[in-house]
Amino acid sequence: MKNEDMNMHVRGASRFVDDIPVPGCLHAVLFTSPVARGSIRALDISKAAAAPGVVAVYTHRDVPGLNQVGHVLKDQPLLAIDSVEYIGQPIAIVVGDTQRNAQRAVKLITADIEKLEAVFDPREAAAKGLIHGAKRVLVNGDPDAAFAKCKYVAQGWLSSGPQEHFYFETQRALAEPGEHDTIKVHASSQSPGAFHRHIAEVLGIPMHKVELDIRRLGGGFGGKESTAVWMAAPAMAAFILKRPVKLVLDRNEDIATSGKRHAYEYDYKIGLDADGRILAYEIDLFQHAGACADISLAVLGRSFLHVTGSYNVPNIRITAVSCRTNIPPNNAFRGFGVPQGTFSIEAALERAAELMGKDVEAIKRRNLLRDGDVLPYGVKLEGVNAERCWEALDKKVNIAARRAAVAEYNKTHTSTKRGLSVVPVCFGISFAQMALNQATALVNIYVDGSVSVSTGAVEMGQGVNTKIRLVAARTLGAAVDRVRVDTTNTSRIPNASPTSASTGADLNGMATKFACEKLYARLRAFAAKQLEADPATVAIRDGVISVCGKPADLTWEKLAAAAQWARVDMSEHAFYATPNLHYDNQAERGRPFAYYSYGTSLTEVLVDCVRGTYTIEALDVVQDVGESLSAEIDLGQIQGAVVQGIGWATMEQIRYGADGRVLTGVNAYKVPDIKFVPQRFDVTLLKDSSNPYAICNSKAIGEPPFIHGLGAYFAILGALRGVRKDKPAPGLPLTPEKVFMYLHEPV
Amino acid sequence: MLSFILNQRVVRTDERPGMVLLEYIRGVACLSGTKEACREGECGACTVLVGRPRPDGGVDYRACASCLLPIGDVDGCHIVTVEGLIGEPLTLVQRLIVENNASQCGFCTPGIVLSLTGFCLGSPALSYEEAVNALDGNICRCTGYVAIRNAARALCEKLAKADTDPALRLASMTASGVVPEYFRAIPAQLARLHADPRPAGKDAVLVAGGTDLFVQRPDQLLESDLCFLSDRRDLDYVHVDGDVLRAGGAVTIEEFRRSAVVRRYFPDVARDLLRHSSTILRNKATLTGNIVNASPIGDAAIILLALDARLVIVNAGGARREVPLSKFFLGYKKKNIACGEIVSEIIIPLLPAGSRYHFEKVSNRATLDIAAVNTALRLTTGPDGTITDIRVSAGGVGPVPMLIAGLEKFHGRKPDAATAEALGQAVEAAARPIDDIRGSAAYKKLLLGQLVRAHFASLAAAGAAA
Repeated sequence: MKNEDMNMHVRGASRFVDDIPVPGCLHAVLFTSPVARGSIRALDISKAAAAPGVVAVYTHRDVPGLNQVGHVLKDQPLLAIDSVEYIGQPIAIVVGDTQRNAQRAVKLITADIEKLEAVFDPREAAAKGLIHGAKRVLVNGDPDAAFAKCKYVAQGWLSSGPQEHFYFETQRALAEPGEHDTIKVHASSQSPGAFHRHIAEVLGIPMHKVELDIRRLGGGFGGKESTAVWMAAPAMAAFILKRPVKLVLDRNEDIATSGKRHAYEYDYKIGLDADGRILAYEIDLFQHAGACADISLAVLGRSFLHVTGSYNVPNIRITAVSCRTNIPPNNAFRGFGVPQGTFSIEAALERAAELMGKDVEAIKRRNLLRDGDVLPYGVKLEGVNAERCWEALDKKVNIAARRAAVAEYNKTHTSTKRGLSVVPVCFGISFAQMALNQATALVNIYVDGSVSVSTGAVEMGQGVNTKIRLVAARTLGAAVDRVRVDTTNTSRIPNASPTSASTGADLNGMATKFACEKLYARLRAFAAKQLEADPATVAIRDGVISVCGKPADLTWEKLAAAAQWARVDMSEHAFYATPNLHYDNQAERGRPFAYYSYGTSLTEVLVDCVRGTYTIEALDVVQDVGESLSAEIDLGQIQGAVVQGIGWATMEQIRYGADGRVLTGVNAYKVPDIKFVPQRFDVTLLKDSSNPYAICNSKAIGEPPFIHGLGAYFAILGALRGVRKDKPAPGLPLTPEKVFMYLHEPV
Repeated sequence: MLSFILNQRVVRTDERPGMVLLEYIRGVACLSGTKEACREGECGACTVLVGRPRPDGGVDYRACASCLLPIGDVDGCHIVTVEGLIGEPLTLVQRLIVENNASQCGFCTPGIVLSLTGFCLGSPALSYEEAVNALDGNICRCTGYVAIRNAARALCEKLAKADTDPALRLASMTASGVVPEYFRAIPAQLARLHADPRPAGKDAVLVAGGTDLFVQRPDQLLESDLCFLSDRRDLDYVHVDGDVLRAGGAVTIEEFRRSAVVRRYFPDVARDLLRHSSTILRNKATLTGNIVNASPIGDAAIILLALDARLVIVNAGGARREVPLSKFFLGYKKKNIACGEIVSEIIIPLLPAGSRYHFEKVSNRATLDIAAVNTALRLTTGPDGTITDIRVSAGGVGPVPMLIAGLEKFHGRKPDAATAEALGQAVEAAARPIDDIRGSAAYKKLLLGQLVRAHFASLAAAGAAA
């Protein structure tokens, strides 16, 4: 089934936050810190306050409630008080009659800030003890003893860069005050529950006076999960002024001041035996978190739990620190630390293969996870599809033949070289933060037979509403066109978890199913009474009521009306909490994930050695989605995620100035375009896969395929290493500049 | 007062001519289907169609980024936003996007609908390759483009038999369901639009497309008096005159690229200009604007420097002077043009016998990106195969688009690998790049040398193929 919103998207009829017409709406613009770290000695807002069209200028003194939007730790004031920790940190809110007037007035604010020493290097921060939370350490087996037995030991350091979300709809919210000091906020947010709480805290009012309503997002990718600044600021202004206020970041403001995918640095050491079996792995992760903790510790935790990728690693030592640096706080981004964790072991294996003088595919294949393998944190695996995905891909593309063809090409060509990479994916599904693995759904059946479903899931193009609609229709027995998924609204669905971690459909779909099952049972019993039949013989499917398989003289609409008239409850709320999850943070052992999503891909590239440019020539993906709820939606998710992953691995690059300023604006931050995507891009869904741990035996799809993007990095790297090996491999992303300099810069 | 047709409605407005169309559409006309996502022409979410009357009574439709398009520049035009594409219930493009699942979050989708519709109305050929070219300025962060390409392919299949004659195009696309019926009446309605005379003050800023001006200083331009090069219909030509090609100052880069004489005499330039920005910008940006903008990395300047182009510059009084392009750039953003003067024509000598041209550009992303380094070569060899003339231009390696001086020493040499190597070194030595957002100085210097060698290798390969 197709994403139901497309028919409106193509007509421009879909409504986003900035499309909601509000007469008399004021516009909020933030004045932010021009200094990466400093003490605010004086702030002069007088000229801005007197500027044309300006209605108000607010500083931390005006915050009605708690001046705090820290998502996990309370370390992030909404408006800076006496110190600043990064360029772009909000200091004041200017409210004007138009966005232009507010923007002009912001330029009239002056801040006298004493500059203090700032840190921009994660390793330096770690060395100085500037970290968020505590260092995490996990040891499994006996890595020291195992290394002593290894025939091959590869070690080195690596880095992976930041990535800008580049959601098309920038951060924004519209706040409308109501009676009794209530406020309604339309937000582009993935986090209804948490942002609901943040806004209430900032305003100093109970949560039942705040209504957060989310129709859809113009893309999220994690960037709208944890940072509430851009929702709380207009809410505060609207609350004080008792007038509607909107805040819409412009693109360069968004790039410069919002969080990114975390850059990481890695120290690795991997040991293999003579047969290429991994015996031991040591990995230290340095996460470049930025000035506030935001959601970084959760991201780091996921990297930490995924450093073994798709491989069985019997002996391991992992350490991980979240480094506090003076850049804007980084946050969630599709994959949530898993791409970085996976990158480390994939790179280590590439290096090991070089040492051994073998094709890396053979080593990867040998070490793939199997049923019964135990992950470092103690989970004994079952239902592992790593080998099945690999085999399915091999059958499709013949990996060895492709490798041979690449080798042959490279033998006969000097100015261009080919490279290929096979990347397996293993991705744990569930929030690693136990408490978030819950969802509620509210299903209402109206007397005309139409059905309204509300959940905590946020639609951002990933098609979660379509999947929920399908689950509701299937479970209730109503025709799909009778079911509508309503906005995500905190007055209907309280305390909702963010739509992230690929769990939107899993959690909310399950809650919807539970609610619909209760309604179905009730309606079937009522229908049986009406039809004077045994309830066991009555079925409702696609809006048709049948007895013993024969359609009865009772339509869905008549049934709804009659049931309501007979005082049957037509509304149901249900709750789902993912069962059997546990994790001991002290011991670093437990079962943090309900199940795992698998996949394997082959990426082939052509590198122009003269110019340092490259073309992604072919991509073949096999992805395990269980029993797909919608193959059309899942294919789109896979294609989109892979291309985003390739962007991260190749061209997407943020440059910072020496003062910690983000230098890269929209005219320099390049994401893949239509011509960059390979002509051959073939996606296959793994056949005969089922999954008892998620809705309708499906598997989560939002994030896992992102990891395939790593294939572009390793394929290009392979081509480069074929040319020369006399310098260390460049880090990720492999921009044309890095490729060129690797090939041409004298050692 | 400005007048234009917005979808089906005639608009007469006193808004300032420097207000960008996107702001008018969303803020004044309250049509929210056109999205703002970058305001710099980098994403395509705000794409609209601009239908400009032709002298023959027809209308040329081009997809343009509305975020960089001042409303003063669409006086007398038909503007089509996504709300103006009302089908039964969808237009062909819209239907194929839905059928191919080519939309996820939907924020970029209206722009993609408009770009593909613009392709149907304006592209000389309705091929899949051209459809993809038409989408080179539309970024999508969700789909990975596979589904969008499938929709484009399906569209070309559906239109395989459509009439591509420009005179009949509108009728044929209306019949195919690409645009609604009301489009048929638009040419006549535009002809009836009363255009007020537009007195521009003598301090008026000349907008020659505006696709960079409106990135750099939109606020200032909103308040300024503007005059528009697109009003100069007399400067809208490309033709060959003896041994030169003459392009009027008002010619857009896309018109130039598509013109029959450019395709005939400079087919490589027509191809290379695809690397210049994107369709929705090239449809508005002019060659002269790109030159006068004096960016040290402008693709048009680099190509034309190697081709030994000359500029015809006229002042308000009509006095005319000719300046070789190589003498036009005086320093960073300083150029040989006075207030009140305009570049009315670009003169490009046709390639002399024995001459070959080649262009190289490396950017982080191949399409819609500013080069780290770009360079062009015009190489002329005599009957004995030795070099008689050589021109190498280089961008991104100095404060201005440079024509490398002192290459006379290569005259008389064979254009072989040894010459390429020596030339590469000579050009590299002349380069003075700086570290910036496009790359380090060391990178740009080394890269330029490589690209000069690549010129020779590519010409040799082309020669071998021929």
